[in-house]
Amino acid sequence: MESIFAFLFKYRPFVFEKGHFALSAPWSMIGIVAFGVVVLGALSFSYTRVRGKSRWQDRVILGSIRAAALAVILFCLFRPKLMLSTVVPQRNFLGILIDDSQSMQIADQDGARSAFVARTLGSPDSALFKALAERFQLRFFRFSSTADRVADATQVRYTGRESRLGHSLEAARTELAGLPVSGLVVVSDGADNSGVGLTESLLALKGAGVPVFTVGLGRERFEKDIEISRVDAPRSVLLGTSLVVDLLVRQNGYRGSKITVFVEDAGRIVGSREVELPPDGQAAPVRVHFTVTEAGPRVFRFRIAPQAGELVTPNNQQDALILVNDRRDRVLYFEGEPRWEVKFIRRAVDADKNLQVVVLQRTAQDKFLRLSVDSANELIGGFPKTREELFRYRGLILGSVEAGFFTPDQLRMIADFVSQRGGGLLALGGRRSFSEGGYTGTSVADVLPVALGPRAGSDSMPFFAEMKVEPTPAGLSSPITQIGPTEEASAQRWKTLPELSTFNPIGTVKPGATTLLTGSGRDLRSRQAVLAYQRYGRGKSAAFTVQDSWLWQMHASIPLEDQTHETLWRQLLRWIVSDVPFEVTVTASRDRVSPGDPVTLTAEVDDDRYFRINNAVVTAQVVAPTGEKQTIPLDWTVSRDGEYRGTFTPKAEGLYAITVSGNQGSRALPPATAYVQATPLSTEYFDAEMHAPLLKRIAEETGGRFYTPATVSTLPEDVSYTQSGAAVVEEKDLWDMPILFLLLVGLVSAEWGYRRKRGLA
Amino acid sequence: MRSFPRLSPFATLTFVLLATAAPGHLEPEAERPASSRRVFGIQVPDVVPHEFYYTRGIYTGGGRRWGGYGRSWTIDYPKSDRQFLLGVKRLLDIDAYGMEHAVALDDPELNRFPFLYMVEVGQTAMTESEIAGLRRYLQAGGFLVVDDFWGSYEWEVWESQITRVFPEYHIVDIPIDHPLMNTVYPIKEILQVPNVGNAHRGVTSEQDGYVPHCRGIFDDQGRLLVVINWNTDLGDAWEWAEDPYYPLKYSTFAWEMGINFIVYSMSH
Repeated sequence: MESIFAFLFKYRPFVFEKGHFALSAPWSMIGIVAFGVVVLGALSFSYTRVRGKSRWQDRVILGSIRAAALAVILFCLFRPKLMLSTVVPQRNFLGILIDDSQSMQIADQDGARSAFVARTLGSPDSALFKALAERFQLRFFRFSSTADRVADATQVRYTGRESRLGHSLEAARTELAGLPVSGLVVVSDGADNSGVGLTESLLALKGAGVPVFTVGLGRERFEKDIEISRVDAPRSVLLGTSLVVDLLVRQNGYRGSKITVFVEDAGRIVGSREVELPPDGQAAPVRVHFTVTEAGPRVFRFRIAPQAGELVTPNNQQDALILVNDRRDRVLYFEGEPRWEVKFIRRAVDADKNLQVVVLQRTAQDKFLRLSVDSANELIGGFPKTREELFRYRGLILGSVEAGFFTPDQLRMIADFVSQRGGGLLALGGRRSFSEGGYTGTSVADVLPVALGPRAGSDSMPFFAEMKVEPTPAGLSSPITQIGPTEEASAQRWKTLPELSTFNPIGTVKPGATTLLTGSGRDLRSRQAVLAYQRYGRGKSAAFTVQDSWLWQMHASIPLEDQTHETLWRQLLRWIVSDVPFEVTVTASRDRVSPGDPVTLTAEVDDDRYFRINNAVVTAQVVAPTGEKQTIPLDWTVSRDGEYRGTFTPKAEGLYAITVSGNQGSRALPPATAYVQATPLSTEYFDAEMHAPLLKRIAEETGGRFYTPATVSTLPEDVSYTQSGAAVVEEKDLWDMPILFLLLVGLVSAEWGYRRKRGLA
Repeated sequence: MRSFPRLSPFATLTFVLLATAAPGHLEPEAERPASSRRVFGIQVPDVVPHEFYYTRGIYTGGGRRWGGYGRSWTIDYPKSDRQFLLGVKRLLDIDAYGMEHAVALDDPELNRFPFLYMVEVGQTAMTESEIAGLRRYLQAGGFLVVDDFWGSYEWEVWESQITRVFPEYHIVDIPIDHPLMNTVYPIKEILQVPNVGNAHRGVTSEQDGYVPHCRGIFDDQGRLLVVINWNTDLGDAWEWAEDPYYPLKYSTFAWEMGINFIVYSMSH
């Protein structure tokens, strides 16, 4: 299309885009216009005077055609021109940025992507190189995480493990600052895995008037490839947790094939999942289950075996660093009356060495039974009355205890336990729970994932309904409610469990909450939520609205060896305490980096009442795999209360242990630990197809142009029309455009043809 | 126990009705109306079930000593149960069913009631299905308290029976510092609680059972499954607590023990 345009209009569209139109008639404009008016007037007069067999319509048509032909001639007499700013040869510099990353080694076009660079820019004999070198002083850069000057394109090694386009463009612009720069040429597949937006870099280039011309290498879609494009794994879990990790698998060319995703812990397969691949170009979510059995920082590998004919295989696996904690998380279970749930929940998690359910059970008015307490004084005064006392626990279970038992401050404290401390709250069904316990309108009701309405029933005749419990689609795949080795087995098991009962008719679940289990029965108007949860502030809350889950352990239809009840409660309570923060938490910007890449450490610091503190002295001690220790001061960010930041750069490969400690006045803060794995990452092989939209955007926003290897031959000429650097104005005549000649011939032919047809010739 | 000197006409009628009804064998869960519950073969209105049922175990046994009907499980029934529950509901904030509730050991419905009381276990001659039912019940999480059997002969009978249930476990004394003895009320000493007749005479023992024991059976994970009250009669202390001639210290002790049993079973 572009060549047809160039044939008709003499120049390519890009030339018209860059230039501006002008008329430069050698005669007086007024004279030409007057001449035109006279000629057109004479023409009109002669046509109106004509008689004979012509009709007035014929005279209008023929007169119009003749006038159009005369207009074309007049246009040519005006000497139309295209005014173009053109660089002065060899007076300007052109920066050529060549992608140095590993993905340039992918052979998805005529040879490897890097081979194109070698053929065109790496050889002084190539036409492209010559054309550029004739016009410009060339400056070569190689870029991956940043841009470095190199003597020529042959010095690019294609070993970079990261592509940071924006950062590299800015680095090149800075390097060439002060020189007359006509533009930058970026030769790349367009992959940018910096995770940072390009807008700022592009605005800076546009402001400096430096156009960027992009040359995209590679295919926009691989013919045959499978990629694990994302792994969503928690950063830390308790030892023994049955973990569910979500993956995203993309593929081309293997539609409908069945492949297996393996999970490996230090080379040992700990889980697997068979997947039927989706249609080409689509991503399939895959959920894999496995149990973490080794404590400490563990690197789990998610892997798909390379398939026949696959173009890129390094993207068939991804690693995730998960800190497996072998600690005992404490959950406070406050029960308002003797209930079987207490016995059976304790029994279910008894064997779980990483959970400690501390029970405070009211047996009579002002009489409490304390179980599994750590000291004689723990909970000696009943339910905690201070934040320090309550916030020591990571989870809180509220059993059948009426809201009136608590003071308003305690109810507010329970809400703060979730929203500010980040703890997990689980409300159990019972005679004194939810609306029936008077929680409607309290601070706790705000936290709960279910909407509380007016109380159902009365003291003498409470609401009661038996119901069959079923998982929702979310429940079938949730790690909390998976009670079988596979989702299918779990779904089957749910169907066979005996009915439970509730005293609490739950109307609706709050918007944004997730329902995992529902129940239905003849005494219920509609299906109601049995297990639902939501995030609330910094923590999470869940409602388990049945009152006799212990029947899933005791019922005669449950085999003795069945572990459904134990599994459900362990998973539920482990989930309740998962991701619950400590007073000091530390997170790394990335837990897996390539050596040499900086890592930002962010610490959130609270006091023991979980109020943010800004006046702490916080430091991070980083222990390298070599044993070398480094102390990094973390400074308050000012923008957020209690947030402190610092940066370190891992040099060696291996695991870096980070321990954050600090002081608030004379009080030492409890330390927090995180890990960062420094390892050569194969990020470049993920999402490695050519990203034309990104390259086009860079070109369009800076005034450049996007090319492929097929169109790159016009690059030297296009760059020369830039207004940057040392340039002169060049005039290009347009009166001799073939389109004008063809138009004139066409109009004359049309007049002749019309006359012939009407018998007027 | 052993004597019914002041049995009221109502209690007698109730006893006769209950004793002649067919025990256990409740219909399947799906057929059971939600608005009623079967108690000792009788469908009783019970719109909303309770959290706690003081459940008495119906077992085979009793022999000629109890009229040849094999009804030794009914001793003190139902007055003892009702009076005990009155005290329980007064002393605990518990949603308890206030009436007697008996279920056969081989009834699958037994598993809905994790607290089980058996009396006169020195008379037991459990069938194989009762043995299997009781074993399954206790292994699933049920809790059994036995009471009111005396002397070496009845011990041997009970030991032989419970060994059929749990051949792999041993019967051991529950130490006085065990949490069972301290769950709600601190128990400092195991008293020998006499039946009402002996109490009136100032005697506490029966047969050759002079020393009271509170023994237990623990599973291999240390969980207490069975509490055995031997050479003592807590049931009579509950049954005759309103008798001004029955010593208060025994009925007080019996309630303290019984409440400890209930709360312990519901929390451990």
